[in-house]
Amino acid sequence: MKTPIVQVTSLSKNFSYPVPKQGKGWLSNLFFPERRTVQAVESISFAIHAGERVAFIGPNGAGKSTTIKMMTGILFPSEGEVRVLDMNPATDRKKLAYHIGTVFGQRSQLLPNLPLTDSFEFFGVMYDLSSEDIRRRTKELVQTFELGDFAQQPVRKLSLGQRMRAEVAASLIHEPQIIFLDEPTIGLDVVAKKSLRDLLLRINQEKKTTIFLTSHDVGDIETLCDRTMVINHGKLIADMPTSELSKQFISEKFISLVPKEHAETFPPLPEGLTYEETQPTQIIVRVDLARWDVPSALTSLLGYFEAEDIDIYNADMESVIRHVYERT
Amino acid sequence: MYKELRFALYAIRKFLQSSAELRTSFLMNIFGMFINNTAFIVMWMAFSHAVGTIGGWTAIDIIALESYAALSLGTVFFFFGGIQKLPQYVLSGSFDRFLLSPKNPLLRMMTSHMMVSAFGDIIFGIAGLVLYAVLGGLNLTSIVMLVLGGILGVFAFLATSIGIFSVSFFIMDTNIVSRGLFELYFTPSMYHGGAFSSGLRAFFTYVIPSLLVAILPVEATRNQSWETLGFIALLGCLWFALSVYIFHLGIRKYESANFMTFGT
Repeated sequence: MKTPIVQVTSLSKNFSYPVPKQGKGWLSNLFFPERRTVQAVESISFAIHAGERVAFIGPNGAGKSTTIKMMTGILFPSEGEVRVLDMNPATDRKKLAYHIGTVFGQRSQLLPNLPLTDSFEFFGVMYDLSSEDIRRRTKELVQTFELGDFAQQPVRKLSLGQRMRAEVAASLIHEPQIIFLDEPTIGLDVVAKKSLRDLLLRINQEKKTTIFLTSHDVGDIETLCDRTMVINHGKLIADMPTSELSKQFISEKFISLVPKEHAETFPPLPEGLTYEETQPTQIIVRVDLARWDVPSALTSLLGYFEAEDIDIYNADMESVIRHVYERT
Repeated sequence: MYKELRFALYAIRKFLQSSAELRTSFLMNIFGMFINNTAFIVMWMAFSHAVGTIGGWTAIDIIALESYAALSLGTVFFFFGGIQKLPQYVLSGSFDRFLLSPKNPLLRMMTSHMMVSAFGDIIFGIAGLVLYAVLGGLNLTSIVMLVLGGILGVFAFLATSIGIFSVSFFIMDTNIVSRGLFELYFTPSMYHGGAFSSGLRAFFTYVIPSLLVAILPVEATRNQSWETLGFIALLGCLWFALSVYIFHLGIRKYESANFMTFGT
């Protein structure tokens, strides 16, 4: 069996902050504040193998960024252990940096006043690449990420979509084995998102770069990641193939009917069957799988409407994820 | 070590190139600071002329004092300007990028920013020391000591600045606290050297090492005292070791944040 390239064991992180004590004066609160501790990450464990594309998702404040920051050496764990490429990110931070790439969607690493190619050169020198290697990698990245049209523009003049492509490209200058992406598609339009996802898939397939990604965008998870981990309140609550998420967390399916003749009335349905959409040309019904199996639900519905076309499908990923968050 | 220094020099060059993109602002900043320093030195010299020699300090010594102070501040904030942005980096979470770099985070952070106006301080400092050497009729030994005093003053200033700004890892409201500490440290270094005697002198040498920046280097040159230069070097090294220790302790305390930022 292959050894994982990331091994996280019972990892926890606590933060503490001062809070004013009720009934105490400002002087007392200034010098002797009460401290409250928040457990941002609570004893999580998982392993990742080379070449995997992993989504690490959860609602705001769930502990996603904190976990990524511990995996990349920015934060020291309060308890537990992280091994990335057989290194401890907290103690081997500089050594590890040569083998990983990071992109934080809300934070730019590029030099704002200089052309994009200067940022590539900057990172190349930082990673001790030779001048020849920097030239070669810059050429490759400009080509792969289609940056040619704006490679000579100052970074501050790029659109958000262009900038994010450039951020990802810059983080790959040293050909890292793993790339950590924290909300890389935040704020991008649909075209820019698709372009970025396609590029990430491409580097995963061509270079076997492992992808570890946090996102609130369902599209990122669905199209990019073959495995999804869900974290909430600092705890890992699911870790499974992305395709299995809906089966595990959603006990409902949808039946879409196109009536033979325009429907004008919509009779009340038995318990467990709920209208999602009622239009003369399309009726969508949610089936509670705890009460109904699909064939019985369909038979029941066909008793109410004569159908020309029928479609049965699972809940979309967004509903699945909302369901997961709400359940925990 | 070679790779660290090579990258630090490269980063400085890149930032200079980046600042020069905004040429007008770059030149205005430098010129403005030069004028500001000149006004300051004229004021102190007028004061010295009016009151005469105090504690062995003449008006010409004041030129050297202000020049050393400007040179120290200018050199450190121009080449290692990131240090004074540390509170902001810590508060916004943009310190993350230095920890993600394969280079020494202290050197990487310090060379991440250049205070452009500080170049005016450097020019002023050098010009002032040349003027001091000419007006004071310094011999070769004194000139060597003058140069060494400048180097040691810069080193002491850098060492203490690292410690002062690293406080931002430990205390909230960091900009105010570290700025206040910095003022407490640097302002006395520009005062008339004759103002420091006995207890005050010990306090501003050992507790708050302001005198290491300019006053002691001037006295070392004027009195041709190698002991004083050695003392500045020793104390500078101790402060440097302490400050680097505080910085690394601070990294362990660093909690990051998720504000939106741009990088260098």
